[in-house]
Amino acid sequence: MFDRVLAIAAAVVADGFRRKLVYVVLLFAVVMAAAIPALPSYGQGIVEAVFREVALALTYVVAMVIAIALGATRLPSEIERRTLYPMLARGVRRYEYLLGTWWGIVVTLALMLASLGTITVLIGWFVYDVFMWRLLGGVFAIWLESGVVAALCIMAATVAGPVIVSVAALAFLFAAHVRSVLFQPGTVAYALYPSLDAFNVINTVAHGQGVTLAYAASMLVVWGGFIGVLLLLAVALFSRRDL
Amino acid sequence: MKHETRESLVSHAEEDPSLDHALVIEGARKTYGGRRAAREAVHDVSLHVSAGRVHGLLGPNGAGKTTTIKMLLGLVTPSAGRFEILGRPATPEVRRDVGFLPEQPYFPPQLTARGVMRLAGRTAGMPATGIDRASDELLSRVGLKGRERSRLSSFSRGMLQRLGLAQALLGDPKVLVLDEPASGLDPVGQRDVRDLIIGLRESGTTILLSSHQLSEVEAVCDDVTILNAGRVASRGRIDDLLNVAGRTSIRAISAEETLPEPVARVVEDVALAGGTWVFSVPDEQVRAVVDALDDAGWRIVSLSPKRESLEDYFARLLAGLGGGE
Repeated sequence: MFDRVLAIAAAVVADGFRRKLVYVVLLFAVVMAAAIPALPSYGQGIVEAVFREVALALTYVVAMVIAIALGATRLPSEIERRTLYPMLARGVRRYEYLLGTWWGIVVTLALMLASLGTITVLIGWFVYDVFMWRLLGGVFAIWLESGVVAALCIMAATVAGPVIVSVAALAFLFAAHVRSVLFQPGTVAYALYPSLDAFNVINTVAHGQGVTLAYAASMLVVWGGFIGVLLLLAVALFSRRDL
Repeated sequence: MKHETRESLVSHAEEDPSLDHALVIEGARKTYGGRRAAREAVHDVSLHVSAGRVHGLLGPNGAGKTTTIKMLLGLVTPSAGRFEILGRPATPEVRRDVGFLPEQPYFPPQLTARGVMRLAGRTAGMPATGIDRASDELLSRVGLKGRERSRLSSFSRGMLQRLGLAQALLGDPKVLVLDEPASGLDPVGQRDVRDLIIGLRESGTTILLSSHQLSEVEAVCDDVTILNAGRVASRGRIDDLLNVAGRTSIRAISAEETLPEPVARVVEDVALAGGTWVFSVPDEQVRAVVDALDDAGWRIVSLSPKRESLEDYFARLLAGLGGGE
């Protein structure tokens, strides 16, 4: 099973890079370099925090766009072009295909975000003479959230086309970050609401002490819960679908 | 009533019980839509493909060929029916012994031919060490030698079809399911595919071949099942279906411009080209006709059971059913 999942994941990663995703990294580096002179001079300490906030916000947008682009298009295009048929006909189980696709997107995102995080830290070190390693904790949280979004996209793509999936993913992202606006903390609705706020560590990383190991572990638990539910739903929906 | 007419046209050529069935489809049925708008794409389709034989699946567009194949391969959930491959229920594990070429296969243009083969080999569970060697051999076999490292963006439609065939053959599957394998190929490519299919049959591979190209089916298939409107319209050995009972075809050469008078009275389907005459006669008249031609100085080239072309048979069958396009 793992061989087949890894083979599919490797194909997704290779396809992602063949789609010139590396250009996104280069564009990010250029934007970051161009943005630095535009930052207002808040004084020592503050300007670095603003830099971290801008960098993480930009990284977040890039990660979500790539997660949605890959997650929303992969399955529908494989079905439309029938590239999926020989694989499934040859004994690859549908859950193996979905797991491999998700894993491939997550690895692609990891490679991308590791590059973006490294570029950001290096630019911060070069410009402000501060080694901002805590930024990587923020990048890790963004990667986790992008993995959830990719799983949501794959789940939705088992029954819908890329446009609907993309809209659904954006709606999900919006809804998953307004829990504290909609409900009072401590209520049942607040506890049950599917929120992604656990991954929102931009303030902590930009202005505070960064992500602790204990908090990173708690994020992993939330991540595992989301991924488990979404991929189980994806498998349930896809196993019933006629291709 | 119409249903009875269809069933009455089903040929009852018996399968040879001594042969193992590599593929069995029994009572396959597929209904799309809800109860109110149900549409039956496949109705009670059964076919048995004996090991080592080439079985053609024919029918006009919308006949249910692809849906039947997809049910066998787990791409479509059947509403009913029994599906077996190599004597076992067609589970994903069993399907690992099946190679599949979908109609008009597509591959990402950024990949190389070897990249496609590697992915196919890995997902088929082949050991990594053997994939490249097997790939090169198969690519050579389908006429893509020297193009292993070429990007698919430079491949023609026919080359992609050949690549699809090569990936279907990876891992030496015991059963091959080919959906329009000659689609997009030029005449030379079509001949190559026929030769490949015949070679695979000789090596013991069982092949289920869905095709619109009746000449291709006639050339390579041992048996056929003809579907129309989701039902089996006819099935049997291709010779049994196409041989016209009670008539013999005679090919003879003469410079004469008319047939000898006693022969002209009994022949049908007369064709003349370049001094070669082809016509058919009732079996009981063969001796008398041959004697009459001998007496008139004609040279007999061949005597064979009269055979209808598959095109004619197919058209006649569909006309009788009121189907086709």
